[in-house]
Amino acid sequence: MNIVVCAKVVPDYEVPASDFELVNGRAHKRFTRMIGLYDENAVEVGVQLKEKYNGNLIIISYGREEDIPILRKAIAMGGDKLIIIIGNSDDPYIISENLKMGIERIGDVDFVLAGRQSADMDRGIVPGILAGMLNYTFVPQVTQIELINGLWKAIQVTEKGIREIKVSKKAVFSITDDPGNIPRIPPVRRILAAKKMPVEKLNEIQVPPMQIEEISVDIPKIEIECEFLSVEDPKEAARALLNRLKEERYL
Amino acid sequence: MGRTPYWLIKYGFIIDLLSIPVGFVFAYGIFIHWKRIRMGTERIKLNISVSTPKIGPFYIKPFIFIGILGSKIYKKIFSGIAHGFLFWGMVLLLLGTISVLMNVVFGIPVFKGLFNYYFMGFTLDLAGLLSLAGVLFFIFRRIFPPQRITAFKEKKGFLLVETSIAFVIITGFLLESLRISYNGIDPGSFIGNWISGIIGKPGNIKIIYQSIWWIHGIVALAVIAYIPYSPLVHLILAPINSGLSRPLSGLKMGVMNFSELVDNVEEIQEDELPSLGVGRLADFSWKRLLDFSTCLWCGRCHEVCPAVLTGKSLTPKGIIVTLSELLKEEKFQESLFNYISINTIYNCTTCAACIEVCPVSINQTKAIMRMRQYLLMELSEIPETMGRAYKSLENRGHPFFGTGFGPNDWQKDIDVPIFQKEKTEYLLWIGCSVAYEERAQNIARSMVKILKKAGVSFGILPDIRCTGDPAKQMGSEFLFIEIAQQNIEYLSSLGVKNIITLCPHCYDSFIHYYPEIGGIYRVFPHVLMIKKLLDSGKLHLKKQNINITLHDSCYLGRHNKIFDEPRELISYIGKLIEMKRNRELSLCCGGGGGNYWTEEEGTRINRERAREAFETGADVIATSCPFCLLMLTDGIKGFTQENKVFDIAELCENFME
Amino acid sequence: MKTLIIEIIDAARLGELYTVSKFFTDTPDLVALGEGDIPSGFGKVFHTDEILGANILNALLDLIKDERYELILLSSSTEGNSIASPLASFLSLPIISEVIGIEKDFIVKKPLYGGKALVTYKIKKTPIIITIRRNSFEREDLKGSSNTIPLELKDKPLELLAEKEEKVEGVPLEEADIIVTGGRGIGAPENFKMLRELADLLKGAVGASRGAVDEGWVPPQMQVGQTGKIVAPNVYFAIGVSGASQHLAGITNAKCVVAINIDEEANIFKRANFGIVSDYRKIVPALIDVLREEGI
Repeated sequence: MNIVVCAKVVPDYEVPASDFELVNGRAHKRFTRMIGLYDENAVEVGVQLKEKYNGNLIIISYGREEDIPILRKAIAMGGDKLIIIIGNSDDPYIISENLKMGIERIGDVDFVLAGRQSADMDRGIVPGILAGMLNYTFVPQVTQIELINGLWKAIQVTEKGIREIKVSKKAVFSITDDPGNIPRIPPVRRILAAKKMPVEKLNEIQVPPMQIEEISVDIPKIEIECEFLSVEDPKEAARALLNRLKEERYL
Repeated sequence: MGRTPYWLIKYGFIIDLLSIPVGFVFAYGIFIHWKRIRMGTERIKLNISVSTPKIGPFYIKPFIFIGILGSKIYKKIFSGIAHGFLFWGMVLLLLGTISVLMNVVFGIPVFKGLFNYYFMGFTLDLAGLLSLAGVLFFIFRRIFPPQRITAFKEKKGFLLVETSIAFVIITGFLLESLRISYNGIDPGSFIGNWISGIIGKPGNIKIIYQSIWWIHGIVALAVIAYIPYSPLVHLILAPINSGLSRPLSGLKMGVMNFSELVDNVEEIQEDELPSLGVGRLADFSWKRLLDFSTCLWCGRCHEVCPAVLTGKSLTPKGIIVTLSELLKEEKFQESLFNYISINTIYNCTTCAACIEVCPVSINQTKAIMRMRQYLLMELSEIPETMGRAYKSLENRGHPFFGTGFGPNDWQKDIDVPIFQKEKTEYLLWIGCSVAYEERAQNIARSMVKILKKAGVSFGILPDIRCTGDPAKQMGSEFLFIEIAQQNIEYLSSLGVKNIITLCPHCYDSFIHYYPEIGGIYRVFPHVLMIKKLLDSGKLHLKKQNINITLHDSCYLGRHNKIFDEPRELISYIGKLIEMKRNRELSLCCGGGGGNYWTEEEGTRINRERAREAFETGADVIATSCPFCLLMLTDGIKGFTQENKVFDIAELCENFME
Repeated sequence: MKTLIIEIIDAARLGELYTVSKFFTDTPDLVALGEGDIPSGFGKVFHTDEILGANILNALLDLIKDERYELILLSSSTEGNSIASPLASFLSLPIISEVIGIEKDFIVKKPLYGGKALVTYKIKKTPIIITIRRNSFEREDLKGSSNTIPLELKDKPLELLAEKEEKVEGVPLEEADIIVTGGRGIGAPENFKMLRELADLLKGAVGASRGAVDEGWVPPQMQVGQTGKIVAPNVYFAIGVSGASQHLAGITNAKCVVAINIDEEANIFKRANFGIVSDYRKIVPALIDVLREEGI
C-alpha cells in the first residue's frame, strides 16, 4: 500500500505579530523554517496508517533544496521516502501540477494526505486542486481514516459536529488536528536513519500561474492599549471589569 | 603483670584459623557485589581533566576525606559523632586484636610498659566504650527512626548487625573484666577495672570464661563474614565509591559521543545502535551500579529534595532504593519503567542537593537523567508542556514557544555593540530566556549598561542563540550536541575566546560540556564579571540602606561552587540576610531540569522558596539566574503584589555611580 | 458579472454571501444544498439535498458551463472548501480563498501568515472562484422563499454513513454577541463548567482555542480561530488563552477582548482591550458571583 503525504516547509508560524517582518511581500528569511503545523498532523496520520496497514509512506514536497534537512523530520516520524520537487512558486496551480507530477512517478498510490491549510498562505486549496488534477475525490477536514471491508472510512470535522464518510474512489484527504493525531517526537534512532534515507530531487515543470494580480502585502497594525485591572481583590476586579465594559457600551 | 593472651583458653589459635573460612565467605560476598556491578556497561570517560592526585582510578582526596574519614556524615552532627565513635572505636579495637596476634605469633611485647598502659589498656577500653555508645545510638535510631529512614522503604538488616556488634563489645568487656578479676588490675583499662569491681570473682570461672570467649569470638567472626551480605558492606563499598567519584561539582553528565554513530550510520543497522540512555539496569555504567550497591537508604537525599518537599512522586532515595533492589534481584534486562514512572523521572529539577548531602558519594541525579535520556531519545516520552518546549527548541532554536517577543526586542531602546572578530574582547552571550521572557530582558539591559559604564570591550552575536542546555536537561543529548556543535563552529569562525553569560545554565554548559565537544572558552557568569569590575575599580556601587536576601542559583552554587562572590556583591549594595536554606543547602526555585515548562504535581516548588525568601523580611530578593528570577517572581505573587525579586545585575545597574 | 452562490441552506451563511455578491451583480443565482427553506432574493435557484461536495461536483461542472457563470462564490466552510478547489481545478479557474475584504474594481483581501499579514489581489480574469471567511461580511437579512430547480447528481464517490452533531448549548458561536473562550491554561476539561456558567449569565457562547481542543477537553466545533470559527462578538473573554496568531485571526472582528491569564507576558494582552493578570480560578468565580448578585 502506498500512502502519500504532502508536506510544506514554511516560515515559523509562531513568530509574534510584533516581530513579524515582510520583504517583497513575503516573510523575512530570518524566520526559522519548519514543516507546517497541519502538515505534521497529516504526516502523523500517515505514519499511523502505515503502521496499522503495513504500508509505504512517501513524503512529497514542492519547495527549496535547503528545506530537505527539515523535511527529513517527516521521514524520521515514519516516512520511507522523500520526493522533493525543487521550485519556489506560491501559485497553487504550479504547486499542484508539480506535486501531481511527483505522485504519478510513484505508481499505484492508495490515497494522498495533506494538511488542511498551509501556515504561510492560509489558503487550503492546493489539496483540492491536486485532487482535481489527479481525478481523485477530495475530502477536507479529516481527522482519522480507517480501512473497512476494502473501502476507506474517513471522519470529517465540520462546524456542527462530525461526519463518517465512506469513500469509494481514490481520494485526497486534507487533515485537521485532533488529540489522536498529535505529531510524534521521533526517537533518535529514526532521526539518524532519516539522515541516510535517499531523497529524490525532481526539477519542476513549468506551468502557467493563476491569473490574479497580487497588488500588495501589508502588516495590519494592532493599535490597542490593554487596560490592566488591579487584582487585589478578585470581586473588586470583577466589578471593575463589568463597570468598564458597561461604560464603553460593550455590554 | 602484663596480660596473658588466651588466658584459660586452649586451642585459642583455632579462632585465628577460623578467620580463613571467614575470609572466603567474606570474599565471596564481595565477589557477588563485584559480579553484579560488572553487569553494567563501560563507563563513559569524562574528558575534562581534574587536577587532583590519583592512584589508578582512585581520587585520593575524596577517598580519604569522604570515604574513610566520612566528612559528610558529620553534617548531621549526632549521627556523625555516633558513627565516628563506632567506626574509629572498632578500628582501634581491630588494631588491638592485631596487636594481640603480633604478640602471639611474633612475640612482640605489646603487653608491656607504656604501650600496654596507654594503648592496650586505656585507648582500647575507651574505644570499646565509645563504639558501644555509637552502636547503641544506632540501635535506638532503628527502633525510633527519623522520617528519612522509613521514607519510601526501610532497609532491613541494620538491627541484626548492630545488636551483634553491641553483643561483641559487651562480651568483650565482660571477658576483660573477668580476666581482671582473676588476674589483677590491668593498668590503663579503666572500664575493665571498673566492671571487674562490680562483678567480682564468680565461681566456675573456667567454664564461664571459655563459653563467653568462644561465643564472643565466633559472633565476631560471623559478623565479619556477614559484612558483605549486610548493610555493613558499606565499609568496603563506600570508600571505594567515594574514591572513584571524580571530585568535580555538578552532575558530571559528560557528553554522549554520537560522532561514531553519525559517521558510521551507513554501516550500522538501526537496531545495532547501542541504547541511548538507560532503559534497563544493564544499561547503567558499573559506577552507577556501584552507587546502588553502596546506598544505605539513609534518606538524607530525600530530606533535601525539592520534589519530596512539594509532594511529588519523585524521591531520590526511592529511585536508588528501587534500582538497588532490582540489582539485588539481578533483574538486568527488565524495563525500568515498569518500576519507576515517567512523571517521577521528569519531576527532577537537577538541583543536585541530593548529591551534595550523600555521605557515600552517590550521584542520584545522573541515574535519573540517564533514564530521562532513554525516555526522550528512545521512547519519545516527555510530559506534554515540556514536549512543546522541546519541539520549539528543535524547530526554531529556542524553547520559549508562544513568546510574544522577537529576538531583538530586548535591545529596542539601547545601543548594543556587535561582537567583532579580533577586535572585541568579550562575547556577551545573551541566551534564550533573557531574550524571550519579558521580565528577564532587563537582566541583559542592565548588564549592557554596566559593561558600557565600565568600559569593557564587549559585543553580542547578531542573532540570538540557545546553548542547547534545555535539550540536555530534558534528556536529548542528540539535540544538545547538534545545537552545541553549530554554536562552536560559529564561535570559532568569530574567534571567540572569552564569554560572559547572563544565565547559569548557559555558563554550566560552556564550562562542563562544550569543552568535551571542542568548544573551549574562558567563561564568566555575569556576577563574577561584575565582581571583577568592582575589584578592579572600573565600577562603583552606592551602598543602600536595604536588606537583601540572596537566592543561590543551583547552577552557580551547587553545580559550580560560586557562593561567595554574589554575597560579596550584595554586601556592596546593602545588608545581606541569609535564608535558612542557603549556600550548599539552598532550595531550588523549581525551574531546572526543564521544569520551567511543566504542570507541577503537588504544591509548587517556586512558591515554597518564595515563601522562605519573603519571610526573611528582606526588602529585596536577589537572584543570579533568569529562571530563578522568573520562578520566584511568579512564586512571590502568593505573598505580595510588590515586585521584590531582582537579578543582581539589575541591582548593580540601579545602584552604580 | 453573472454570479453563482453555492451554499448550504443557512440564513447567516447565505446572508453573508449575498452581501458579497452585491459587489459584482444585482441578482446572484444559487445552488442550495441540504434541507430547509430557501429565502428569496436570488435569480435561478437550484437545489439538492446532498451536502457532500464531491458528490455534487460533476453536476456543478455541467451547470457552470451551461450557464456561463463568471463568478462562483462559496464560504470557506466545510461544504464550501470541499467544492471550491476541486471545482477550480476541473474548470481550470483561478481561485482566491478565505477572503475577508472586498473593494470596488475587483479588489479582494485575504490574510497570510496566520493572519499576521494581509494580501490584496486584483481579479484580472473571469470566471473566478472566491470563498469568503465566515463572519467577515454583513449578513443580508433575506426573507421569503424561492422556487427551486432540482439539481441532478451524477456519480457519488462518497457515502455519508453517519452525522453526529455536537450539542451546542446556548447561542452558536458565530452568532454570539458575547463569547467566553477557554484555552490550554484552563487546565482540565471539568473547568470548562465555570466558563459555561459565566457564558450563561451573560447570555453568550463558550468557545475554545486550538490548545484546549488538542487536549481533547472540548470538541473541535468549539474552536475559535483561523481553522475553527471566525467570530465577531461585542465582548470576547479569552481565558487561559496564550494568543497565538491563528487564534487572533478568529477574533479580528471582535469589538472588545478581555484577557484573563496568569502569565503577564502572554501574547493575548497585545490584542486585548482589558487585561487581568491572575489565575482565572479566582476571577471567573468572582465574575459569576457579581453577576448573580448584581446582574449585568
